[in-house]
Amino acid sequence: MIPRPVFKKIHDWLWEIPKSFRADMRVPACVYATEHMLDDIRRDRSMDQLINVATLPGIQQYALAMPDAHEGYGFPIGGVAAMDASEGVISPGGIGYDVNCGVRLLRSTKTIDQVREKTDALASALYRDVPSGVGRGGRLILRGNDLDAVLQHGAHRMVELGYGEKADLEHLESTGRLEDADPSLVSDTAKKRGADQLGTMGAGNHFVEVQYVETVFDTAAAAQLGLFARQVVVMIHTGSRGLGHQIATDYIRLMMKVMPKYGITLPDRELACAPFSSPEGQQYFHAMAAGANFAWANRQLITWEVRKSWQEVMGNTGGGLSVIYDVAHNLGKLEDHIISGEKRRMIVHRKGATRAFPDQPVLIPGSMGTASYVLLGLPQAMEQTFGSSCHGAGRRMSRSQAKREVRGSELKQEMKAQGIAVASGSLSGLAEEAPVAYKDVDEVVDVVHAAGIAKKVACMRPIAVIKG
Amino acid sequence: MPFFILPHTADVRLKVWGKDYEEVFRAALLGMSAIQKKAIPTKDADFIERTISVEASDGTALLVDFLNEVLSLCAINKEWYFDGVFERLTATSLHVTLHGIAISDFDEDIKAVTYHEANLQKNEKGEWETIIVLDI
Repeated sequence: MIPRPVFKKIHDWLWEIPKSFRADMRVPACVYATEHMLDDIRRDRSMDQLINVATLPGIQQYALAMPDAHEGYGFPIGGVAAMDASEGVISPGGIGYDVNCGVRLLRSTKTIDQVREKTDALASALYRDVPSGVGRGGRLILRGNDLDAVLQHGAHRMVELGYGEKADLEHLESTGRLEDADPSLVSDTAKKRGADQLGTMGAGNHFVEVQYVETVFDTAAAAQLGLFARQVVVMIHTGSRGLGHQIATDYIRLMMKVMPKYGITLPDRELACAPFSSPEGQQYFHAMAAGANFAWANRQLITWEVRKSWQEVMGNTGGGLSVIYDVAHNLGKLEDHIISGEKRRMIVHRKGATRAFPDQPVLIPGSMGTASYVLLGLPQAMEQTFGSSCHGAGRRMSRSQAKREVRGSELKQEMKAQGIAVASGSLSGLAEEAPVAYKDVDEVVDVVHAAGIAKKVACMRPIAVIKG
Repeated sequence: MPFFILPHTADVRLKVWGKDYEEVFRAALLGMSAIQKKAIPTKDADFIERTISVEASDGTALLVDFLNEVLSLCAINKEWYFDGVFERLTATSLHVTLHGIAISDFDEDIKAVTYHEANLQKNEKGEWETIIVLDI
């Protein structure tokens, strides 16, 4: 555990571990948190991991941890690091195995009062139509050129195939397609793992939730996004499934092999990296972009599945579901940032961190059964965090401890008593995701808001939770 | 079997050990399979065999790469491998026959086996030991 006096208070929500703390640090390590949250964060190894990130070649200004930070592997979850694109490295472990894990939010025209009596039916239909769990395949099996087209064109390809509307694409980060994708750099093993996984949610903390807008904090900003009090919305949280996991596995292995060639030594093998401009760095970047496109295609097909369930349960008077936004929280992006007054090209690693550019919607899912938030990025985020925000509540308890403390069946009953319908394939999986296992999302979001990274627009509460 | 699951905030931290490479690699395979699925294959199950070969720069990387190969096969073939027989196992290469069964789903979604904290070395008892962090 890093001793408390090591952390220098910058302001009420920002703490710094100075570069002098360890000889191999190239920049300071900074964490956004209240004093109380900092004590919690210090309990696991996330701050040791953040210090390791601060040693990576080409890292600029600081290694950052968001207020939802917790222990991961290599990078902490909630970690942000910007590397100079010409001199710095790219690290697959700094982006994570679930490439472009992210969140999409759909808005309906209905209020909770119009939907309340149908929540059980909605939960059942969504559980049926959105395949979930470990190993369950989806409705599409794509191979060869058909899969490559998805890897190249992401959500755009799904819309071409009829799974969505062109208007959907206007509301996705990067319009749901990274132009840098090169499917030829994705291994056959990765493609085989992804062949039947489009349109599937997976397990763990992934979910589809029907929610309602409980509180509007900023009426004008909410109206701009088409949000209003008591409105029903649908949130989707999933990523690139096994295809993305395999891309990360393949390229971490490759980078471990080539690091000696570039004279790179690291405190943790999981940070394996290569210069961004090197052949291996470029290969990973283009393969990762293909994995990101697969994730956007996945959330697009799930959107189609959700609309199908909605239509069936709500009937012809149910209105449509429109995309508010779709944002990645495990991704490396090539972006321009101002460093010491000079505009520079950076490869920004966000692992369990959401892009938060000015006026961009930032979607923060809470833990199961608790609040989720919509925020808008603020200009200060560009100055303070390379345009990045938190990504969720952040775990505070291990899965095994959660299962010891919570019974899935009792949790399901408790949620039912709170008016939340639950459709889940696994009661033990439900227990792992119990709210008690997570930090207080309200507190996490308050830090981001108070620090001027993103402003609160609306807060939602779930009425139906669908999980694997 | 010599494996033990230790606390980790988000993922699974597995401690494995054995008197030689074969024991520790087998312990890691059994530990991972026990996390994937809480099941015992019945005698009348249709058993499946798969062989894989792996090469790596050192024993730690070999162990992590081996487990990742097993994970990939599980996902692609929808099979659960509950044991393995190592026909060749050196500090940098292995050839193993995996024993498994077809399966419709797993209890836990292991996304990958990470190199984080992995360091296969002898402990004070003279046994080979390492931590393996699994991304869940």
